[in-house]
Amino acid sequence: MSTQPTPSFVRRSVYGPEPKQRAATLPGLVGLEIKRLFPDVPEAIYLEGGDLAAMREATRAALRDVRMDMIREGHSVNILASQYGFTLMGGYAYAEMLKTIKDVVRERTGCKKIRLRVCTGFRIREPDEIIQHYGLEESFPHAAAAVRPIDKGIPIETEIGTLYGVAKVYDADWIIHAHHGELRELDMHRMINRAHKPFAMSYARMETRAVAHMNFGPRSSNFIAKVIFDSRFVQSKFTFGCFMLTSPQGITGVAAGSDLDALDRKLMLVGFKSYGKIRELFAEIKECIAVLDATGEPRYMIGGGLTFGNVTEAELDLFDLDMMPVSLGFGLYERPPHQPRAKSVNPALKALVINHMWLGVPQLELATHIPTIAVGQDMARLLRDDPMNHDFMRHCVTAENLETAMKFARAIARTDNVIVFDGSFGRMTVSPPLAEHLTARAPDVSRRVDEQLMPKWLRQRGIDPAAAAQVAM
Amino acid sequence: MVEIRFKARVDEEKCVSCPMCENVCPTAAITLPRKGAKAVVVDDQCVGCPNCSGVCPVDAIDLVLREKPLVVGVDASDVDEDRILALCRKANLHPQQWLCLCTATRVREGAAAVLKGAATPEAVALMTGTRSGCTVYCLQPTLRLLKAHGVKVVQPKGYRWYDISQTCWDVPEDVRKKYPGHFLEEDLEVFRKI
Repeated sequence: MSTQPTPSFVRRSVYGPEPKQRAATLPGLVGLEIKRLFPDVPEAIYLEGGDLAAMREATRAALRDVRMDMIREGHSVNILASQYGFTLMGGYAYAEMLKTIKDVVRERTGCKKIRLRVCTGFRIREPDEIIQHYGLEESFPHAAAAVRPIDKGIPIETEIGTLYGVAKVYDADWIIHAHHGELRELDMHRMINRAHKPFAMSYARMETRAVAHMNFGPRSSNFIAKVIFDSRFVQSKFTFGCFMLTSPQGITGVAAGSDLDALDRKLMLVGFKSYGKIRELFAEIKECIAVLDATGEPRYMIGGGLTFGNVTEAELDLFDLDMMPVSLGFGLYERPPHQPRAKSVNPALKALVINHMWLGVPQLELATHIPTIAVGQDMARLLRDDPMNHDFMRHCVTAENLETAMKFARAIARTDNVIVFDGSFGRMTVSPPLAEHLTARAPDVSRRVDEQLMPKWLRQRGIDPAAAAQVAM
Repeated sequence: MVEIRFKARVDEEKCVSCPMCENVCPTAAITLPRKGAKAVVVDDQCVGCPNCSGVCPVDAIDLVLREKPLVVGVDASDVDEDRILALCRKANLHPQQWLCLCTATRVREGAAAVLKGAATPEAVALMTGTRSGCTVYCLQPTLRLLKAHGVKVVQPKGYRWYDISQTCWDVPEDVRKKYPGHFLEEDLEVFRKI
């Protein structure tokens, strides 16, 4: 049942030092296969290292019936990409989807001015690193550009007044929304307008992002994305969306269409089916040591196909809309009318080992809530100098290397349960005792999700569970 | 208190006098004094965020360690508590909620800064140490506090920041009704209880 771990490729970046040793090479860790835990989680058409032809074929198939006749030969088109897609499974699958979209649009419309916009969050130089690493300048000659939330804005008139997008996103006749269906930050989107979210994030100016994150919530944040998308301005440029679908097994397909609401509904159903059980299984971990060892920031780092952020929040069912962790500005875990405080972290996390990560998100709550060990002086320096986590290293110790960090973590956590967030899909890198525990708990979790939770999640969103079961994944 | 350990340093040889750094600085610490001039940093105004060095097209800006950290912060205890609470209430903000996650600064400290005379987002940032990290999230509560205090905020030239501050409280009723399933009324109720 357990096999070799399959950690993801780590991309070189100015935002994190290269790891000297990958956690998966530690003695005794195994790769627990997701399909053995939950055989009904959608299967992968592509896993890291596989043949990218599967991505090309899936993208072409998804685009076959999508309308593109509004794009004329002399028009300009921006394909909009988000940095997170490039952290999934080494990023090559997402890059392939983007290149294929360009090829198909060109073939179908004759349009030559097809540009790529690589959008980012707080890592300002990351889009340039992405463009270089994936050879996107060759695929989009003189037409691949970085988009950052602090770049020049463009006003977008909406039903709640002016909001601001980033000008470079919209500087073409048409836009193509090329995203992914990975769960990412469930606490922010709650599977409401998941497909629209980048219009208030990746494609938006910083003020607009902060309006969504700080001034709305805990369930209404994506209303901002919806009103921006529905604006006359965005509607005048929008052509279609194309989404790389994922499950903890890997990339499961590509979905595309010009009806973003319909795509959103599909993403929601696929999301429940793909992530409902694995997320619930993580809530069955009562004590563990977590090891961070992948490309990106901790919150969005994948282990067993699910982000670490979903584990730090695992004790709450965030698919359940009756759960009301208040919005980001308040801290996540206090229900009204209690007083807000710093957002807390799943108490099952008894120690945290940071072997490899990138800067890029405020996450002080990790170090203040979990005994945290940085591996090596380079990582410690990175964290100490991070302007987004001013006090992180005041709450964190440094170990000389990964092995001593693990030894120390075991001593303070007093558990043999280890889970590694190393970017792996298809398999979860864990210690044998944790593999045994998760394997034993999986059948109960599966039943609970099928019989109780899934019908509740669907009904809360106005969907008949029986009808949802008929939707093709 | 927030300890600012870094500051921006411009390499004049490399600087091409474009306005990009000026447009992303949260405290107006880096400017081009005149057209064609090299960028200049006012050290005491620089909060060491990654913006200018990140956007510089010719890598002319580095963040360097200060000889002595710049320590900033507002002691809210010497401001009348009732005034802090009244301002927070008017801004529909809880005094204990985050103003800035990067520096772990609470709204009460931002309110104290405004009550002590900070009249622009830049001044609040310099007094509290906020906007020294991601520079993004803290702008909204800052604008809301300033406006609730009656300050007429003036959007700067260029694109350093845009003056928008819509909240859950501002969504017109007809729009709320138009978007069922977006939990606008329900979330407003959550905020009201808090």
